[in-house]
Amino acid sequence: MAMTQNIISPVAGAAEPTPYGLLAEFPDPQALLRAAAAIRQAGYRRWDCYSPFPIHGLDRAMRLKRSGLPWFVFGGAFTGCFAALAVAWFCNAYSYPLIFSGKPYWGLPANIPVAFPLTILFGAVTTFLALWVLAGLPRLHHPLFFSARFRRATTDGFFVTIEATDPCYDLAATTQLLRRLGAQAVEVVKDC
Amino acid sequence: MTTAITASFAPTDLDNTGDELLREPVLVTGPATYQAVTDQVCRVTEAPRAPRAWYVAMAISLALLLLFGVLITYAIFTGVGVWGNNSPVFWGFPIINFVFWVGIAHAGTFISAILLLFRQKWRTGINRFAEATTVFAVVCAGIFPAIHVGRPWFAYWLLPYPNIMGDWPNFFSPLLWDACAVGTYATVSILFWYTGMVPDLATLRDRATGRIKPAVYGLLSLGWRGSARQWHLYERANIILAVLATALVLGVSSTVSTDMAVSQIPAWHETIFPPYFTAGAIYSGFAIVLALAIPARELFGLKDLITKRHLDNLAKLALLLGSMVLYIYLIEFVIAWYSGDPYERFAYLNYEFGPYWWLGWGILFCNGVVAQAFWFKFARQTWWIAWPVAVLCVMGMWMERFVIIIVSMHRSFLPSSWHMFVPTWIDIGTLAGSFGLFFTLFLLFCRYCPMVAVSEVKAILPQAQTRDALANERH
Repeated sequence: MAMTQNIISPVAGAAEPTPYGLLAEFPDPQALLRAAAAIRQAGYRRWDCYSPFPIHGLDRAMRLKRSGLPWFVFGGAFTGCFAALAVAWFCNAYSYPLIFSGKPYWGLPANIPVAFPLTILFGAVTTFLALWVLAGLPRLHHPLFFSARFRRATTDGFFVTIEATDPCYDLAATTQLLRRLGAQAVEVVKDC
Repeated sequence: MTTAITASFAPTDLDNTGDELLREPVLVTGPATYQAVTDQVCRVTEAPRAPRAWYVAMAISLALLLLFGVLITYAIFTGVGVWGNNSPVFWGFPIINFVFWVGIAHAGTFISAILLLFRQKWRTGINRFAEATTVFAVVCAGIFPAIHVGRPWFAYWLLPYPNIMGDWPNFFSPLLWDACAVGTYATVSILFWYTGMVPDLATLRDRATGRIKPAVYGLLSLGWRGSARQWHLYERANIILAVLATALVLGVSSTVSTDMAVSQIPAWHETIFPPYFTAGAIYSGFAIVLALAIPARELFGLKDLITKRHLDNLAKLALLLGSMVLYIYLIEFVIAWYSGDPYERFAYLNYEFGPYWWLGWGILFCNGVVAQAFWFKFARQTWWIAWPVAVLCVMGMWMERFVIIIVSMHRSFLPSSWHMFVPTWIDIGTLAGSFGLFFTLFLLFCRYCPMVAVSEVKAILPQAQTRDALANERH
């Protein structure tokens, strides 16, 4: 359980066949934010930050691209609205036209109470599914879950990981960079 | 680190209701560290045993739930004649209970969606809890129309499916509108609730010990890691879901009200019905959230997260919505008089002076007079005043649904078709049983799910603010 000591040593690193990368812990969100800006400026590409809650400004510090999520939602909501109107038209005005209360077979206003909730239903289900697919979830395991220290990422731990596959990754130099940015602890995370 | 915090923990229960200019109100009283906030919420699910009151409440709820199941089964096997429904009161308790439970659901969505869009930070303490009431109330609501049709195994007739007669449902019918609105509401509230809970389930996963709990919470949390990329997407999705849910807060009860407003019955055929039902719905929802929050924060030691300020704000919102409901009550009387329509005038006189006069005055008393107690800070702050007031508001809203549905129908146009409605004991038992279902689900939620949105509360702590951290990085 006591994995709190640094385990950075050439021997330990060599014993692990191609590690996942480096995990660095920072004391607070402010330090994480400054570190993120510096790591981005240092040219790293395959890295990420971890925190127990969303940190304001972190996406800008990391220069994250705006997600395409709203477009998926728009597509879903539009499909829902169109599908509802199309089904209503097909059923009541085309396939089996019936006169209800002397009203025309087809009327847009009377079909809004069905089109409106279906727009929302399709939009919300798309949001839900697109969120998890774009976030790379669900998944049963991840190399970071090997780290006992990382369990604090959902309580009070602020972490940066730099993956070993990053072109700029170099065990010694990257460790030094993370230390210089104020990391309290740096450890190698093994891969599955 | 993962051992449960079982040592006694005394909440400070500070009075944080004061307003000081230019200062953010304190929303977490007591130790406001990330660890302390996590501990306070997770303690509830990690404790080996729940408080004794939980077992007592669970026993009562399960007994009522059993009653619910038995009575519904009896009604389905025997026929809807076991209820008090008659001609002309074709809609009895099932529709009252349906409209009532749909209304109860609304506060949770209001708190988690509309208050999120308005950036009300205090909502973080109670939103999870309120959303849970939404989900469970919609579950209760959905059962009643299904059993009310009498032959629930034909409920799929509501859907447009190809059949050998070649006919289709009528899309101009409020029955279909209702099915769409309530079905959407149930789905969206569950998705919104679950999405909000994933990071907190991950917290529980990372603290869990043993074999089963880490696996269960691990599956439920979908492998959430809290990476910046995930949070970035997650926050966008939450805002989008909030916008969609906001439309539902205003849309669902409006659609339910068209069940009545589209018909010809006096006191039903009114354009005020959609806002009327929505205001009443949100009002009853706030009342029940308040009525549940007062005992829950006491029982589970959450007084530092669901603070006095949260109760104060809930009571103020209940007062606001209650005043809107009172205004609509009064304006309905004025419009009935002003319309000059004798049937419309009679319907409103019948509310207050007919055979059900005590319900007519009861709703004016419960929703009009009692809720006004929340003008006084003493009433909002004192649990033995605030709790009975909230319970009376909930009862008042149930009575209001009774008055609208039954009292309007029992004396409509022709005196020859007037008839009294008397509920049977099965009606009353089914209503009580639906509370059993609601409280069973709610108690299970309190015990096994994170009752407060941990990650959202952490994000509003003072030390989580990062406004100036990158001041010299920007250009």
